[in-house]
Amino acid sequence: MRMLLRLLAPLIGLAMAAAGVLIVIEVIAAWLRRNVVTGLVVPWHHWRTAIENVTWEDPPVPGIAIAVAVLGLLLVLVGLLARRSHITLDGPAPEITVVTAPRVLARLIGRRVRSTEDIFSASVTVSPRKVSVLAQAFDEARPELRDTVHGRVDEMLDELPLHRRPRVAVHLQERQGPR
Amino acid sequence: MTTPVTHGSKSGRPKIPEATLRKRARAALARSAAVDRALAVLVGLVLLAAGTLVALLSYGVFGTGRAARPVLDPLIVDGLRAQPDAFRLVSIAVGVLLVIVGLTWAARSLRPERHPDLVLDGGPDTAIVISSSAAADAVAAQAGGIPGVRRARARMVGTDEVPALRVTLWLADDADIRDVLTRLDDEVLAAARTSLGLTALPVAVRLELDVSAHPPRVA
Repeated sequence: MRMLLRLLAPLIGLAMAAAGVLIVIEVIAAWLRRNVVTGLVVPWHHWRTAIENVTWEDPPVPGIAIAVAVLGLLLVLVGLLARRSHITLDGPAPEITVVTAPRVLARLIGRRVRSTEDIFSASVTVSPRKVSVLAQAFDEARPELRDTVHGRVDEMLDELPLHRRPRVAVHLQERQGPR
Repeated sequence: MTTPVTHGSKSGRPKIPEATLRKRARAALARSAAVDRALAVLVGLVLLAAGTLVALLSYGVFGTGRAARPVLDPLIVDGLRAQPDAFRLVSIAVGVLLVIVGLTWAARSLRPERHPDLVLDGGPDTAIVISSSAAADAVAAQAGGIPGVRRARARMVGTDEVPALRVTLWLADDADIRDVLTRLDDEVLAAARTSLGLTALPVAVRLELDVSAHPPRVA
């Protein structure tokens, strides 16, 4: 989302500047050329004739309004969601800030969980507040396997100098078929 | 009452509070997108409000009579004609404001990030300049030698007055992260601070896993 914002920001800025330039040019041109009804760059007299004959309830107006509102909503979402998403770790000194991406933590935990006996595969989702592990166990797995996996994840988290320890949720699925 | 922890300087430079160092280190993590985000949200809210109000007007929420009026209302045209100079001046002011905000925003977004050189005090008539790339490359080379670190990249960021360091470490899967960070501080950053003559150097470290080295598929 930050990349999208980086792309959109200069485009919107340039569009705003271009609109401003056109407004200034047209207003000054209309001011100086009082007897001329045509626009210098923008055919605003055609537009004026058109919108004088269109009412608010006529077909293109609601559609355009909804499109503008949707565009605005998307911009708001891009602005709000373009936050840094990272896991903060405690640095060895106050002047050192250490972060890592959630996918890095997910990969470390996933590797640790998959190395557990009786676990066939695992998918891990990590956010700064929560770690969710969905592990597939071979059938006839031990009943305490869930606790074992939970312990492995806790062990992994203990090894990291996490600034804020996320909650851990482990879900086990039994895999059907031969081992 | 507690006093903030400060970092002293053997050269007698002013002490920098710990909170300031933390703030500078956090700021060095990535280029700030706060202005871009704020302006995007602001423009988005304006468009959302305008679009929603016009849609409500079109669907007759504010009265069917209003919805049946032309978009360019004769009442508004008459009002503008009554004060033509005021309308023109306001329009020009709005246009100039759009140009200033738009160009400032675009220029700020497109401007490359600063990588400040470090200026060391070599005496009354001498200034020793270490280029940002030289300083950063030296740190990266040393950091790359820490056990568990496969690759390292460093960049000087911040300003000439307040430089900071951004370090990215690509770790091996079995790296001991606590040990890597301790060694980075003790062996690399301490040496960098000493050799660059800096009292304190805010550092932002980003940890990644090195995925370029895959284990062999067939033993």
